[in-house]
Amino acid sequence: MLIKPSTNVLVVENDITIMQRCRELLLQEGHGVRMAESVEEALDIIQKQPGDVDIILLSLELPGWGGMSLINIIQKSRHEVLIVTMSTNCGEEAIEAIHAGAYDCIRKSFTKDRFWIKMNRAIDAFRLNRQVRILRRQRQATLREPCREENLLAIFNSFADALVITDWKTDIVLFNENAASLFGLTEKKSIGHPVSEWIESDELLSFIMRAIESDSSLAPLMAGEEPVVKVQEKVLRVHVDPVKNGTGSVIGAVSLFHDVTKVSAMDKLRADFLSMVSHELKAPLSALLMQVSVIHDGLAGDLTAKQTSLLGKAKEKTKGMITLVNDILDYRRIEEGKSIQKIESLDLTEILPRTVELMLLSAEEKGVNIEFEIEEDIPMFSGDSGGMQALFVNLISNAIKYTPNGGNVRVTLNKAGKDIEIKVADTGIGIPPEDIDRVFERFYRIKTEQTRRVTGSGLGLSIVKGILDAHNGSVRVESEVGKGTTFIVSLPVS
Amino acid sequence: MKKVLLVDDDVDFCEATGLLLESKGYEVVLAYDGKEGLEKVRTEKPDLVILDVMMPEMNGYDVCVVLKADPKLKKIPVILLTGVGQDMFRTHYTQHMGLMTEADDYIAKPVETQELVERVEDWLGGNS
Repeated sequence: MLIKPSTNVLVVENDITIMQRCRELLLQEGHGVRMAESVEEALDIIQKQPGDVDIILLSLELPGWGGMSLINIIQKSRHEVLIVTMSTNCGEEAIEAIHAGAYDCIRKSFTKDRFWIKMNRAIDAFRLNRQVRILRRQRQATLREPCREENLLAIFNSFADALVITDWKTDIVLFNENAASLFGLTEKKSIGHPVSEWIESDELLSFIMRAIESDSSLAPLMAGEEPVVKVQEKVLRVHVDPVKNGTGSVIGAVSLFHDVTKVSAMDKLRADFLSMVSHELKAPLSALLMQVSVIHDGLAGDLTAKQTSLLGKAKEKTKGMITLVNDILDYRRIEEGKSIQKIESLDLTEILPRTVELMLLSAEEKGVNIEFEIEEDIPMFSGDSGGMQALFVNLISNAIKYTPNGGNVRVTLNKAGKDIEIKVADTGIGIPPEDIDRVFERFYRIKTEQTRRVTGSGLGLSIVKGILDAHNGSVRVESEVGKGTTFIVSLPVS
Repeated sequence: MKKVLLVDDDVDFCEATGLLLESKGYEVVLAYDGKEGLEKVRTEKPDLVILDVMMPEMNGYDVCVVLKADPKLKKIPVILLTGVGQDMFRTHYTQHMGLMTEADDYIAKPVETQELVERVEDWLGGNS
C-alpha cells in the first residue's frame, strides 16, 4: 500500500462540534492537526511555526468577519499555505473568500465522503503548489550556478553583440548566435578554421595576434584603438581581449563585435555638418578680416590711436576664429585620411622628389637644407597617391618646422627586406623621451620654450598615422633632444 | 596705371580688397564669379588676375585653365587665392592644383594685406 505523506492541517473554528469532527477525520487519515478557536490564536501558531501548517481549514462564521481578515493576512504575508473555508451554505461569503485567495469551501453539514472529496483535492493542490515552488527554486539555483555548460551557452547567446573566440592559431573555437548570423558561421564549416577565412579584416587579425602574443605592457597600447569591420550594411567596432586559462597563460582571444552603424552614421552627419559650417564660416571671416585690415591700415580714412588699437585687436580675434575653423576642417580631414580614395601602382621614386621640391621654398625661408637620396630598384607600391604625398609633406614639413636655421633635413628612400623604407631625419630640437609615445595623438603638441613659436594644429602626425594604417604601413621614431629626430616609415610591398 | 582684375564671389571681400589695391595706386576691376571673370579678362585686358579658388559653378582652377589655354591671355599673370589655411597637406594640394593649372602664384586665405600688396608688386613691378 502506498503511504501518502501526511499534511499538517490547522483547523480554525469556534464551533466545538465541527472542530472535533474535522479533527477525527483528519487524524484517521494520518494527517497532523492543530486547532485554533480564534483568528489571533491561529496567527500565533502560524507565526511561531510557519513550517507546521500546510492547509488551514477555516470557518467563515467566526465573530466579526474574522475568517476573511485571516485570509487577507495570509495572502499578504505570502505564506505558502492553502486555505479551505467552511460555512453553513457556502454562499456569497464563500465566493468572496475564494476571490480573496481561498481554495474551496466545504459545507459544515458535510458527510465523511463529501469532506474527503474536497479535502483530498485541496491536499493535492497544496502538494502540486509545493512541487512547483521547489522546481522554481531549483531552476533559479541552477542559473546562479555558472559552471553549467548549458547556462554558459545560453548567456553567451544572449549577448546582443557578436562574439567569436579563437585559439592561439587564430582558428575559430566558439561563437555565439549573433556572430553566426552576422558572418554566416556554422558549427561544421567554421569551427577549427582560421578566423580570416570568415571575417576579412587584416586589422582585426593583427589585433587578435597581438592579443594572443600579449603581455600586459601592450594593454594600454591597444586600449585606445579598436578595429572597425564592415559586414553587409553594418559597421562593427571590435574589442579584442586575450583569453587566459587558470594559470594565466594566454590560450586564445575573444573578439566582441559591437554594432556602431547608427553611431558612425551620426559621426558622418556631424562631420559633414562641421565641414559645411566651417566652409560657410570661412568666406565671411576672410572678408571680415580684409575689411578690418583695410580700415586698420588707414585706407578708409584716418584713425585715432584708440581706433587703431581696437581694430588691431579685432583683427587678431578674427584671425583666431579663422584658425579655429581651419582646425575643425583638419579634424574632418584626418577621418578622410584614413580611407583610401583610390589604390594604384605608384612609383615612390617619382613622388618623393616632386614632394621635396614643393617643400624647398619653405625650407629655404627657414634656412634649412634639404637633401634626399633614393636607392635604385625600388619596387612599385600599391597605394593612394594623394595619401602618399600627404604622408611625405607632413613628415618633411614637420622636420623643417622643428629644425633651427642652418640645420639639415635628410630624406632617404630604400628597400628594407620586403618593405619600402622612408627615413626623414632632421638635426632639429628632438623629442623628449616622455613625449615620444604621444606625438601621434590628435592635437598633441609638445610644449617647450623652443616649440612655442612653431605654429600648427597638432594634427599632422595623426594624419600620417591614419594614412599608414590605411596602407598597413608603420612608423617609428628615434629621437634625441638637441640632436635631432628620425621618422622611419615602412610600407609593405604587394 | 596698372589694372588688376579681382575675381571672388564674396562681395565684401572684393570691396575691401579693391580698396586696398586702389590705395596702392592700382586700377581695380571686380568680377563676382568665374564666368564674369573670364569675360572681364577679355574686355578689360588687366595686367594681373587675382582669382579665388572656391567659387560656385566655375571655380578658380577652371578659369585659370581656360586662361592659360588661350594664347592671347596666357601671359597675364594669375594669382590664385586658395581658401585654405596653413596646413601643409592642403597647401600642398592647392600648390599641386596650381601647378597643373599653370597658375603663376598663389596666396592662402585669410589674406594678409601686406602679403597681398607685396605679391602684386612682385608681379607688376610696383605701381605706375
